[in-house]
Amino acid sequence: MSRMLNLVQAINEALDLKLADDARVVLLGEDIGKNGGVFRATDGLLEKYGEERVIDTPLAESAIIGTSIGMAVNGLIPVPEIQFLAFIFPALDQLFSHVARMRYRSQGQFPVPMTIRTPYGAGIHGPELHAESVESFFAHTPGLKVVVPSGPYDAKGLLISAIEDPDPVVFLEPTKLYRAFREEVPEGLYRVPIGKAKRVREGEDVSVFAWGSMLRTALKVAEALERERGFTCDVIDLRTLYPLDRDAIVESVQKTGRAVVVHEAHKTAGLGAEIVSLINEEALLYLRAPVKRIAGFDVPVPFFALEDEYMPTEARIRAGIEETITF
Amino acid sequence: MEFKLADIGEGIHEGEILRWLVKEGDQVEQDTPLVEVQTDKVAAELPSPVAGVIERIVAREGQVVPVGTVLAVIREAGAHPAAAAASVAAPVAMDAQASAQEKPATQASAAQEERATAAPEASGAARRGGKRRALATPHVRALARKLGVDIDEIDGTGPVGRVTEEDVRRFAEGGRRPAVEPARGHTEHAVEAQPTTASRVATPEASGELVEQVPLRGLRRRIAEHMVLAKRIIPHATHIDEVEMDGIEALRERLRPYAEARGVKLTLLAFFVKAVAIALKEFPYVNASVDEAQEHVLLRRYYHIGIAVDTEHGLIVPVVKHADQKSVFDIAREVSDLARRARENRLSLDEVTGSTFTISNAGALGGLYATPIINYPESAILGIHKMAPRPVVRNNEIVIRNIAHVSLSFDHRIIDGGMAIRFTNRVRELLEEPDRLWAELR
Repeated sequence: MSRMLNLVQAINEALDLKLADDARVVLLGEDIGKNGGVFRATDGLLEKYGEERVIDTPLAESAIIGTSIGMAVNGLIPVPEIQFLAFIFPALDQLFSHVARMRYRSQGQFPVPMTIRTPYGAGIHGPELHAESVESFFAHTPGLKVVVPSGPYDAKGLLISAIEDPDPVVFLEPTKLYRAFREEVPEGLYRVPIGKAKRVREGEDVSVFAWGSMLRTALKVAEALERERGFTCDVIDLRTLYPLDRDAIVESVQKTGRAVVVHEAHKTAGLGAEIVSLINEEALLYLRAPVKRIAGFDVPVPFFALEDEYMPTEARIRAGIEETITF
Repeated sequence: MEFKLADIGEGIHEGEILRWLVKEGDQVEQDTPLVEVQTDKVAAELPSPVAGVIERIVAREGQVVPVGTVLAVIREAGAHPAAAAASVAAPVAMDAQASAQEKPATQASAAQEERATAAPEASGAARRGGKRRALATPHVRALARKLGVDIDEIDGTGPVGRVTEEDVRRFAEGGRRPAVEPARGHTEHAVEAQPTTASRVATPEASGELVEQVPLRGLRRRIAEHMVLAKRIIPHATHIDEVEMDGIEALRERLRPYAEARGVKLTLLAFFVKAVAIALKEFPYVNASVDEAQEHVLLRRYYHIGIAVDTEHGLIVPVVKHADQKSVFDIAREVSDLARRARENRLSLDEVTGSTFTISNAGALGGLYATPIINYPESAILGIHKMAPRPVVRNNEIVIRNIAHVSLSFDHRIIDGGMAIRFTNRVRELLEEPDRLWAELR
């Protein structure tokens, strides 16, 4: 059986199923219990599983992550929620110095099976520090996996895989997509593998790599370009930012000879740079045009009045793809 | 909007930016002249297609750009400033080349020496260590490697001269050279073989001697390229003879009042053109060209005679089309009109291209003989030298006759000395005995 769910419902369902499936799974975070989470991702779970498994924490991110480490190395499977991605900054020491390195430091004795869930990205006109896309911080840190779903089906399947993963996963939920659309989502446990990208549109002229909410925007542009100009885009949803699905990226570029990376994070040292380098290393001789990045600007994500100017717009993406194809 | 280099004459391939007549920020009306562009031998002013403001000048003076290149961005009246500029990719390599040539050094001071030696480096993207380096994407480079061709040998037809996939395939199929097209396609080879550009001039003068560095630009550059091309490809040989001009001179004197009454300044050159046109019909290989790629000879059944004119801008070769079908008066009238407009730099591209044979008339300046360089891809050129009274032997007696020397340089691949001599004899015969010239008229 499957129903039409939005992304936040799919996440709620994944958490619900894992709580039921595995007694070691524990949720913790600010307002996730009684309140059901700021976006209602944990709605109803406190009532169902009790205060020992769905824990409201004080407003202290370093404590949330620190506590999760303790739980994880002692046999639990914590799923902490950070209310907005940029709120994780006070917990970065816990994350970088401990979560990411515990298995390495203990020579494999202490894996840290935790999944840090957090909304990320602009597009909902939040106040400052509510719209960041700093995924490259985590992708740059060995020991962390970074997963970004772009739709309800993948969100549920990827979150289940993340919780079941023996290592820490940073699970970034595109805020803009929480309630943006619905998709058919099967009941019960199913898994979408971590580390595998997905081709969401088949094309010959250019490879477009995106994730999160940018995937949707890029897809719209790809559809319009095919309709209006006959250009076909091979649109790839990366889904996992670390480890990257190198094969999928290289194989697509070998086919099309051109690539455009779209992300809302700042351009400089953003993940787009990593993807361009990868293409450079493994598919250089196939390139018919420079690989282009359409990204957010190198400024803090601005207040909501300017937020739409910051985000890569359809027009910017379109211009980038057209320039690449007609180079 | 993007203001691009359009094909301003039939089949031009590239143009050199001579001079911008506007600067960034200038307000222009539709048809305001924006830029002066030199194509093969003609300088043309390109007018603005729209009214607006010059937002950005992309192509720099001195830069040679292929047709279709964006020269400038014009913000049309009422358009948003950023929108127009966004899509223009600056041709980086050529910009660097242009800016390196922008300021001619007048003294070989230390700093200027540095700049002078740096000049060829600055253009490195296009040319490195005397060798041209093609602009191409990795994919195209890989293809060239696969097909076993040297990509640096290929003339790119893409934006800013980029070598495209199609260029590589065409090159691989057609052998080392593209099909012969007068004076185009080969130009890069010509420049490559001619290291007398800025680098050569600048480097040996580092000893502190006063030296003026003059950029090889415009018509001069065209001529240089064309001459190198001709000398490099065509094995030249020159045959020299003398022509007794008394007969034709007497005829000209007789006709002078008649010509003047018809508004024609009858010149000896007009008779030469006519005589050559008649002789060419009998010697098709002299009115021909070699297609190196296809390895065949094109015998041209039309007779367009180029007339090399010395102007203050340099050598220009306007063309008398279908000279065989025109009267001597027509030719005289046309030559004087073309020469005048050549000196005023007012010829159209059409009027300086398409010749099948060229006459270089140096008579007015003096001299005895010369070895003219063939106007590639033609197969021969006739030089006419100063007519003067000279002692000659006629019937074992020394007499004085008006003698002009002629020099015929010919493409020895397809014309042997015998043919060159017979052709010259025929021209001479028609001029020495003008009755024969008239007899051949149709």
